[in-house]
Amino acid sequence: MKTKNGLRDLVGQFGLVFILLPGLIALASCGGGSSSSSSGSGSGGGSAVNNTQPVQVNLGPLNNDADVLFTSVTICVPGSSNCQTIQDVQVDTGSEGLRLLASQVSLSLPGVNDASGSPLGNCVTFADNSYVWGPVESADVEMAGEKASSVPIQIIGDTHFPVVPHACNSGGANDDTVAALGANGLIGVGVFRQDCGSACAGSVSTVPTVYFSCPSSGCVLASVPLGNQLQNPVWMFAQDNNGLLISLPSVPDTGSATVSGSMIFGIGTQSDNALGSAQVYTTDDLGNFTTTFNNKSYSSSYIDAGSNGLFFLTSSITGIPLCTGGNSGFYCPATTQNLTAMNTGQNGTSGQVSFSIANANTLFQGANSAFNDLGGPSPGDFDWGLAFFFGRNVFVGIEGQTSSAGQGPYWAY
Amino acid sequence: MKTILTVLLGLLLGAAPAWAVLGQRVTSVQSDRARLRGELRAVERQGYSVQQITAADGTVIKEYVSPAGMVFGVSWQGPAMPDLSDLLGAYFPEFQKASGTATRRHRAVAVKTDQVVVESGGHLRAFHGIAYVPGLLPSNLTPAVVQ
Repeated sequence: MKTKNGLRDLVGQFGLVFILLPGLIALASCGGGSSSSSSGSGSGGGSAVNNTQPVQVNLGPLNNDADVLFTSVTICVPGSSNCQTIQDVQVDTGSEGLRLLASQVSLSLPGVNDASGSPLGNCVTFADNSYVWGPVESADVEMAGEKASSVPIQIIGDTHFPVVPHACNSGGANDDTVAALGANGLIGVGVFRQDCGSACAGSVSTVPTVYFSCPSSGCVLASVPLGNQLQNPVWMFAQDNNGLLISLPSVPDTGSATVSGSMIFGIGTQSDNALGSAQVYTTDDLGNFTTTFNNKSYSSSYIDAGSNGLFFLTSSITGIPLCTGGNSGFYCPATTQNLTAMNTGQNGTSGQVSFSIANANTLFQGANSAFNDLGGPSPGDFDWGLAFFFGRNVFVGIEGQTSSAGQGPYWAY
Repeated sequence: MKTILTVLLGLLLGAAPAWAVLGQRVTSVQSDRARLRGELRAVERQGYSVQQITAADGTVIKEYVSPAGMVFGVSWQGPAMPDLSDLLGAYFPEFQKASGTATRRHRAVAVKTDQVVVESGGHLRAFHGIAYVPGLLPSNLTPAVVQ
């Protein structure tokens, strides 16, 4: 990591010269109308671009992951062909925005500042009380043949940035390394346009602890306009921007070593992303719908490719024992449990889901990484994680964007 | 009296916990309300009371108080995670230790030790959770009252 930081320093000193020149040349020669992507794939005049990004479930950079979906993401200094492709970025539909570990980023990206010119910092504390913290910077984001320009992203664990404010987190684990994060970054492609939205854009006295303004005197809680917040890059694509589809093949009940699938951008925009027979479940303004299980309804339920299993309720309610040992966050039934639940959208659409929960300690005995029957507790709700995605086409409809399914936010499968 | 003094000192030093702490006396609730710039609402229930603080950012913290005046449970719901080190107080290190042994990341946790039960879940924009101390739970109540 020391070496990587050294490289980052070097780019920080000299990068700007390399970055600005090609950008100016491109602007001058093409009138700003052409793609400055180094990939050179055709995107002329509104014709269809490649909208299919390969994704894979594997053991990950730590060689011990389960049900984690990875892809690669190309970032560029805005408006330039100075780009870098970062592998092993976890695909997450439970958040919005691209977050990359500073140790993996060699480009020098411009920071995003508040109105008074102070750098902005972004904080997420996850439900397990671990957190990611770091500056908001701007990058062009490319996946498949799609490109989003000047997207605010988060750089996690930048050693040149102020330390985490107490209001962001105190005492939690810092996910600022590959070992802690289990990936080189997260790409949040959930049902919203921004990571926080209007809640973070109002009066500073009412904003949650997500954005901080960081003048030299120290970081303070900040209100940030929507455009400067972390963005779901998909809605900023020039086309195929109303949502996405994650398509993964089914896996055997004992799991698969690896699984390859697709993240396809757009819904009903090309021949490969038609809604087909998928049912549409709209969400509330927090991204939740209702799951009914054993005649009880849980209205804060959601679909999240970034959760590595099917997480629901608690052991005392489900009667399914937790694993002993290091896997105590998973269920370990003596025999596989075959269960059903009902999902209901805000729009009233209902559909039954059949699912199984196997013994996680048994599943983990082999070297498999992809499981459709891995589960654990999630108090008070159903978190339909990556295990739910196998053998399904799951559509993510982004808020304010329209498709044949209607206006987002919604899920469809 | 000692608790009040501690809270006052904490406020003077700018290091007061943000809300009443699990396992401590209910007297700290008022200082929490001030810190959170929130609205406090108290509801009497059969065998316990609930002090509900709605913070300016919309986070709702509920503190479950026994007839003996002890906070035996807390719950939270809001757009960002609350400061668990403040909320769990002396039980936070135990939560950290127990949750740290689980190998997985970025999702719900359910921690159950002899001393404390902590259940935390949700996603960006919508977090929720509960915590209670079984040893402080009034004998005529079940943990299900904490929600």
